[in-house]
Amino acid sequence: MADHRAFTLLRRRLLGVVPVFAIVVLGAFALLESAPGDAVDAYLAGIGGGDAAQVAALRAEWGLDQGPLPRFLAYLSALARLDLGWSSAFGRPVLDVVLARLPNTLLLMGMATLLALSLGSLLGIICGARPGSLHDRTISLAAIAIYAMPGFWLGLVLIVAFSVERRWLPSGGIETVASGLTGWDRAHDIGRHLVLPVLALGLVYMALYLRLMRDGMAELWAQDFVRAARARGMAGARLVLRHVARNALLPVVTMLGLQSASMLGGSVVIESVFAIPGLGRLASEAVARRDTPLLLGVMLLSAMVVMLVNLLVDLAYALLDPRVGSGTGG
Amino acid sequence: MTAPTRRSLLAGAAALPLLPRAAIAQRRGGRLTVAADSEPPNLNPAIIASNGVFFVASKVIEPLAEAAYTGKDGLAPRLATAWEGAPDGRSMAFTLRQGVTWHDGRPFTSADVAFSALEVWKKHGNLGRAVFRNLEAVETPDAHTAIFRFAEPTPAQLIRNALPALTAVVPKHLYEGTDIMRNPANQKLVGTGPFRFAEWRPGEYTRLVRNPTYWQQDRPHLNEIVYRVLPDRAAAGNALEAEEIQLAAFSAVPLADLDRIAKVPGIKVYSNGYEGLTYQLVVEINHRRKELSDVRVRRAIAHAIDRDFVVRAIFRGYATTSQGPVPKYDRTFHAPDVAGYGFNPQRANALLDEAGHPRGADGIRFRLRLLPAPFFNETRQFGDYLRQALAAIGIEATIVSNDTPAHLRAVYTDRAFDITVASPVYRGDPAISTTILFQSGLPAGVPFANQYGYENAEVDTIIRQAAATIDDAERVRLYRALQKQVTDDVALVNVAEFSFITVARDNVLNVSNNPRWAVSNWSDVGFAG
Amino acid sequence: MTSKQDSSFSEEKEAKRLFPLDAAPPGARSEKFFGSFFQKRTSFLFRLLATGEGLAGLALLSALVAIALAAPFLAPGDPLAIKGDPLLRPWQNMAHPLGTDRLGRDVLSALIHGARTTLLVAVSAAAAALGIGITIGTIAGFLGGWVDEVLMRIAEAFQTVPAFLLTLALISVTGPRVPTIVLGIAIGAWMQPARITRAEILSLRERDFVAAARVIGMRPLEIAFREVLPNALTPVVSLAAVIVAAAVLIEAALSFLGFGDPNRVTWGSMIAEGRTVLRRAPFLSIIPGIGLVMTVLAVHLTGQGVAKALRTRRHMA
Repeated sequence: MADHRAFTLLRRRLLGVVPVFAIVVLGAFALLESAPGDAVDAYLAGIGGGDAAQVAALRAEWGLDQGPLPRFLAYLSALARLDLGWSSAFGRPVLDVVLARLPNTLLLMGMATLLALSLGSLLGIICGARPGSLHDRTISLAAIAIYAMPGFWLGLVLIVAFSVERRWLPSGGIETVASGLTGWDRAHDIGRHLVLPVLALGLVYMALYLRLMRDGMAELWAQDFVRAARARGMAGARLVLRHVARNALLPVVTMLGLQSASMLGGSVVIESVFAIPGLGRLASEAVARRDTPLLLGVMLLSAMVVMLVNLLVDLAYALLDPRVGSGTGG
Repeated sequence: MTAPTRRSLLAGAAALPLLPRAAIAQRRGGRLTVAADSEPPNLNPAIIASNGVFFVASKVIEPLAEAAYTGKDGLAPRLATAWEGAPDGRSMAFTLRQGVTWHDGRPFTSADVAFSALEVWKKHGNLGRAVFRNLEAVETPDAHTAIFRFAEPTPAQLIRNALPALTAVVPKHLYEGTDIMRNPANQKLVGTGPFRFAEWRPGEYTRLVRNPTYWQQDRPHLNEIVYRVLPDRAAAGNALEAEEIQLAAFSAVPLADLDRIAKVPGIKVYSNGYEGLTYQLVVEINHRRKELSDVRVRRAIAHAIDRDFVVRAIFRGYATTSQGPVPKYDRTFHAPDVAGYGFNPQRANALLDEAGHPRGADGIRFRLRLLPAPFFNETRQFGDYLRQALAAIGIEATIVSNDTPAHLRAVYTDRAFDITVASPVYRGDPAISTTILFQSGLPAGVPFANQYGYENAEVDTIIRQAAATIDDAERVRLYRALQKQVTDDVALVNVAEFSFITVARDNVLNVSNNPRWAVSNWSDVGFAG
Repeated sequence: MTSKQDSSFSEEKEAKRLFPLDAAPPGARSEKFFGSFFQKRTSFLFRLLATGEGLAGLALLSALVAIALAAPFLAPGDPLAIKGDPLLRPWQNMAHPLGTDRLGRDVLSALIHGARTTLLVAVSAAAAALGIGITIGTIAGFLGGWVDEVLMRIAEAFQTVPAFLLTLALISVTGPRVPTIVLGIAIGAWMQPARITRAEILSLRERDFVAAARVIGMRPLEIAFREVLPNALTPVVSLAAVIVAAAVLIEAALSFLGFGDPNRVTWGSMIAEGRTVLRRAPFLSIIPGIGLVMTVLAVHLTGQGVAKALRTRRHMA
């Protein structure tokens, strides 16, 4: 039964991928195409100018002298051969550029999600165990206040506090540059670099998980089966964990899926504050330098990541909630 | 005002080489980590003369000569040890340094210079194309002599002034017979300089390592230079305080933060070392716009700007006011006697009344689109200021904010603006960087040039004459006349000249000791100890 | 046949998983919220104020709105005008009680006018997002078939791409002006309202009153927008709080990256402007930061209050 549901989901998701990718590619292409100025303009600004013949030669070399349609078709046919094209901003293949950045972003997002989820759920359980109590109100308010802070501001303050005033942690980067470290030492080094950005990104999202968990629990207290459990004499932590928290976990899991795309967006700012070479920053660089193949590459890759996360969430959901999709169509 | 003025800084700069520097013990070795804010995909300085490229490439690939505070013509020899222009302006002979090898072990010869000049500078150099336009041939009578032959008389002064920025020599054996623009050596540089290119990790860093076979004995001092990419403006200052980097050039630490960071123990602020890279803060005016085609209106705009305030508030004192298109530091070409436009709102208002633009019921005479260039914090901030300054004389400016490519397209191709804030860079000779701002008839799409429709036949004549003049004094006279004329016409409004600030840990030695320091080879830079 | 079942099954689920911020389980939702809201307005408002969150949130929010509306009277003139010496600290000169920024612009008047633009941007963006989302969701849900399929694929594509990136790209392309910023934020936020609306419509469209409307000959879209939609709005509107709060923060992040409207002052642009002197004059970014936190807090508390008030009513009913 569960296998069948998982299979159906998988099929639906995979079939859905193609049109979604088509829309993403078309949309991103059209967006950058309608932007004023092209890659050559961006390049000229970087090099301080050039004469008319040079400008024309550059446009010809980068294929920008052709109309948008031939270029789009050329891009599609290359894409069909799994060729993501050439990045003019970095002077190397798009695939190389994006693949070099992907692990950093995944690491940042993964750790931030883990932090938001674990800390948020924990605090949410504490708050939801006694809704309306003083510590519920205090914690909830503090979490919302953090949520209300712009992520970049939080990041800047963390840098000043923990790497400039006290030199506990590095102020940016993903690892010590050209350190030559390997194995555990390198992992430790990367970990130290990730502490502050993960805090800046994760704490903001923590409030969402906290609220979900807390509200989910508060809602369930009123439900019959919980009342029944209470009446049976189940008490305290056991009740909280066994029934209430487990049921409130469902919306939390769904939030994970929703959050993946949004967090990728949030990482644009965090990656630029902490100088982390990741996909988010790469995307904004691609826009700033009108590097259409690069932007498309980032969009496609991030779409793939988001879809994968959603697929996993769907599967988890189907397994977690026996009531969903029991085959009766609702 | 605690910040030093530019004048005192320049005086300090001139005095610097006289300091007893040998008194400080210098250690060999060490890694210098510096902040970088851009990563040019093409690092070949023979093709791209830009500070972003030079910042890295100047340590690897050398020019024929470098700028210097002292010395003949303000130059210090690099790959050329002597140069002599013929009196008729038809040729220039270079004596080349002996015993120099490329990083891959091949010897450096006059053939490399000839190839670089004819095939790279003349054909692909973004600025070299104009300067070496008339270069016909390069004769190489022996391995260490190169004689440049010009089809038209070419001023030796111009070539000399172009030596530091436009004569980077690349290895013939790697470029000959290849597509020069796509040559992999444009990313993995091979040169003769004190450092060798090691690796580029996009988004993270570029690393250079010591060249053990550098032609200058006992140089370089450093083992490594790492350029760490720090995209955020606050990042360089923080990284410097946290001692993760030791040096931030090109004002990577925002000017606004300098007063504070200068007081941090262990950190030193250098405001010299960029005289050869002076930028100019200007207002470009679209002469095609009806109101702005009237010189009285343009003069009114020039009078509306409080240059002292701009230097004080926006540049925190790290700039000087400016009235003409050649910066004051170039004592040869700068015309001190150009008509100035002092801060005088009354005069500005009177000029606008006279020009027939009375204030309407809302106090507004007319409206303009103002496009501040997004290149520097200061150009954006000056845009904010200019909007207020114009409001005071009844001109309502709406700021149209664009990112870099959109700004280039709007201003230099579509010409869809009324006024802009721009920051042209002065490159040591008016023929390289100044005439392009005033000559008429340029095709649309050439950036950082006269796309604002300024046309004056007299100015065009001066530019043509000067280009063919080989006598130094006569060139100077003509370019001074040019400055006078364009300032009189208010072709554009010069507001200030500014360069950059270097902030470094105080154990880094020999910082800012030449006028193009950040883009020089750093062979003498090292750590104290 | 299976495909129909398939899709309706997954829609129901979709509604659940896309709807985590509304505390009420789907089945327990009241059908004619809006009708009853207007009839028993006082009693709902009373219940809202009776919740601590609602009271605090509404009080804060109305204070902010009042400041925003009264900005031209509280701080006459252009808030971007240069009024005094640069970088005066708060309380240093009582002509500028909150100090001045790098160019000598008065922080207090920027703060007051900033409230105006910030709220304007956030509320318009939320309204636009809801408007787009509800329209698309209603059409998709009610018409079904290929229209539904196409619209939902588009929504999915939009949700797959990081919204902030989309906003950023759109604003780089169009140039940062208030209308494009509003549009940019809305473009990144319409999908959730659309999906929820659609799911609601799907659950409602087979109900009796829809059949009745059909019988009396109303056209499908008319039924959708006049009969079904009002019943489906409750959960969608409660998303508004989340979207407004997010919009405030997105605007700030855009300004931080240099994509703010330079002709208007917003709290985000004040923070962005102040951050280069973060260490030297921290008040320049802290003061507007407090404004941001207050706004987001107020919106959230109000949202919570509304949710709570709805719950109490359900229990009473």
